[in-house]
Amino acid sequence: MIGAPLAGVRVLDFCWIGAGALVTKTLAELGASVYRIESRSHPDNLRLAPPFRPGTEGIEASGYFASRNSSKQSVALNMKTDKGRELAVELVGKVDIVTSNFRPGIMERWGLGYKEVRERNPSVIYLTMPMQGESGPHASFVGFGSTIAALAGLVDLSAVPGRSPVGTGTHYPDHVPNPGHALVALLAAIRHRRRTGEGQRIEVAQFESTVNVIGPAIVAAGLGATPIATGNRSRTSIPHAAFRCRDEQWIVLSCETDSQWSALISALGLPYIERRSSIAGRRADEDSIESDLRSAIGRLDRSKLIELLDRAKVPNAPVNSSRDIVEDAGLWKRGFWRDVEHPVIGHIPISRSPFRLVDGPQPEVIRPPLLGENTFEVLHDQLGMSQEDYVQLVEERVLY
Amino acid sequence: MTNPHTSPAALEGVRVVDLTDELGAYASRLLADLGAEVIRVEPPAGSATRRVEPIVDVDGEPVSAFELFVNAGKRSVVIDTSRPNGVAQLEDLISTSDLVIESPVPVLEEAGLDAERVRALKSDLCRVIITPYGLDQQPGWSPTDDLLVMASGGLLHLGGYPDIGPVAAYGGQSRFAASIFGAVAAMAALLQRDLDGTGSTYDVSAQECVAQALEDSAATYALTGRVRERQGDRPREAGSGVYPCRDGYVSMIAGRLGTARAWSALVAWLNEAGADGAAELLDPRWSTFAFRQTENAIEEFGRIFTAFAATRNKLDLYTEAQSRMIALSPVSTVADILANPQLLARDFFVDVPEQVGVVRFPRGPYRMSGTPLHDPRRAPALGADTELLGHDLVSGGAA
Repeated sequence: MIGAPLAGVRVLDFCWIGAGALVTKTLAELGASVYRIESRSHPDNLRLAPPFRPGTEGIEASGYFASRNSSKQSVALNMKTDKGRELAVELVGKVDIVTSNFRPGIMERWGLGYKEVRERNPSVIYLTMPMQGESGPHASFVGFGSTIAALAGLVDLSAVPGRSPVGTGTHYPDHVPNPGHALVALLAAIRHRRRTGEGQRIEVAQFESTVNVIGPAIVAAGLGATPIATGNRSRTSIPHAAFRCRDEQWIVLSCETDSQWSALISALGLPYIERRSSIAGRRADEDSIESDLRSAIGRLDRSKLIELLDRAKVPNAPVNSSRDIVEDAGLWKRGFWRDVEHPVIGHIPISRSPFRLVDGPQPEVIRPPLLGENTFEVLHDQLGMSQEDYVQLVEERVLY
Repeated sequence: MTNPHTSPAALEGVRVVDLTDELGAYASRLLADLGAEVIRVEPPAGSATRRVEPIVDVDGEPVSAFELFVNAGKRSVVIDTSRPNGVAQLEDLISTSDLVIESPVPVLEEAGLDAERVRALKSDLCRVIITPYGLDQQPGWSPTDDLLVMASGGLLHLGGYPDIGPVAAYGGQSRFAASIFGAVAAMAALLQRDLDGTGSTYDVSAQECVAQALEDSAATYALTGRVRERQGDRPREAGSGVYPCRDGYVSMIAGRLGTARAWSALVAWLNEAGADGAAELLDPRWSTFAFRQTENAIEEFGRIFTAFAATRNKLDLYTEAQSRMIALSPVSTVADILANPQLLARDFFVDVPEQVGVVRFPRGPYRMSGTPLHDPRRAPALGADTELLGHDLVSGGAA
């Protein structure tokens, strides 16, 4: 089917929390069956993380978990039990891809290291996403998206000179570089497997993956420069900054050309100053230009200002808040947001992956599963498990 | 990282026509590393990426480090699509290709090649068109500016300082976001074509790619009505945030999201080391999440930890914290990264012979056992491969 290039691909998914969960969310939207292995004996931290709709609570209620686990199937498997691990090993033989993002050693402890998995399934594609990689003196080190961003140089370079570095203010590596890079590698490995029958192991060391998104700074250092944080300022566009409007909302402006600059000053009614008509002159005057703009923009509401600047063709954008983004009509129209109904959470907007077919069906975004919701269905279909055995194993807290 | 097997590269035999500016250039770099033959089509004055920051003065010549990084391993041909002959050259090239990537506008359409014409040139062509807001929402200006896309995608709202205002992360992250998901879409299109021979066209909105990074904030607004604001340089709770030390800063998470044990380990460490005021942290009220999020707790912990860290280097704090399973990392400078023992032990850097001399690059973002990546290679000089137009290129000779 068009738009489902991974139809028929089965994924045994041990990913949890951030980066890994976003990888398998996209695989599911591309048509793969994603069997998410999880357990009440050690639930995904995200299942316990806010936000919760007021009045709802518990491991089914997290909006955070919901936002990155749509379209997957949940299989409750208690990996602390021998039988649970046995079933996981059996499932390995039935799938095309095995994914995880634990510290090195956890999958091995369960008998699910690459070597064992490949013995059971020679053409498996096996993805791991350790923070530092499986080898090296820091292989066992721990971290989260924000500490990985710091380690990889993104935080130090993201600051206003003279102030402490701030990075993105989020766990950014978990959301874009690491799941995105992992997806590119996985899809390439699927192509190779379809052509040759060969599987392989993919290691996304999250540190190394994140260094790549500041790659130009590393290259600049190689050319003899010392990259430093410059806030929002740019050598090629002036102004290039954020400003607060009268209604306390923010806007950003960028003038790369002299004509954009002159359009800006006439739109705002600012005086023409000869020396500012060239980029070199604006650079020398940057502080006072920003200060002039702060006063002028502070007198206008954001929507009015955007109207003015759009008409003058001055590059601008609202600094969209989470409210602005969730209520953005264009994003709903494009199908980026989907209204999904969840039995515990109720209606919640879930985003699809950030690409869409021009002339084809849009991916289905299916509500995130309850913990263990698909256990019987998956174990019955994949391993031929009987209803009787299923009930027994639920009682024994193996399927738990 | 040479391939020990005889396996073909993952994208062996795939030819990509690269019609990108800075918004999409890294997408085809990723595909080049996987073994695709990537042919950049540049106007006679050169692609916009050649003028993108960071720019370094090398012997009086401005050199874009961005250009070298995102175009490593590609070919370059010059085609002037404002001339009829140029359009014909582009058509020839497309008819021999598997995939076209365009940014920041539908470049083929602007050159006069509509979807029907392109389909006639190559019926199963895969296409990825990367634009700031999607094909249905073109802004009234171009090219694209990272600050604007970071703002419209919502990530800028979470960055910066409460007092100063929003500040974008370094390095044009909206371009990386758009390019990385552009590469994912390209792979999806290639896989579709392998399955059923259909060429698909993907519409990639950079705004949506950035909006993937909003963390819990969109769900928080949807479920509670609360709008998350930028946190800035103030820790969001005691033990989680960026703290100064003797030679810079460290970033730490101890206490949040299932790291309760790390908080105990941190308190034990500070007490063992005899940190001034650390005994106070043993008081049971500090063991609750709620207390550690109070202004007083954030302030008090910051005072204790900053005094402790003031006499210690970030690397010493890093190894000591990690031996106690505390998620603390140095806030690395670029020089720190180039000297990082883990990266060096894993042979992460490679020297690339660029036209301007040998330049150290990071190796690729992942390691694949069966189809190892190409190491970064030299970015092509403008038009370095133009002479191949009409010869090898059209006959389909792969690199």
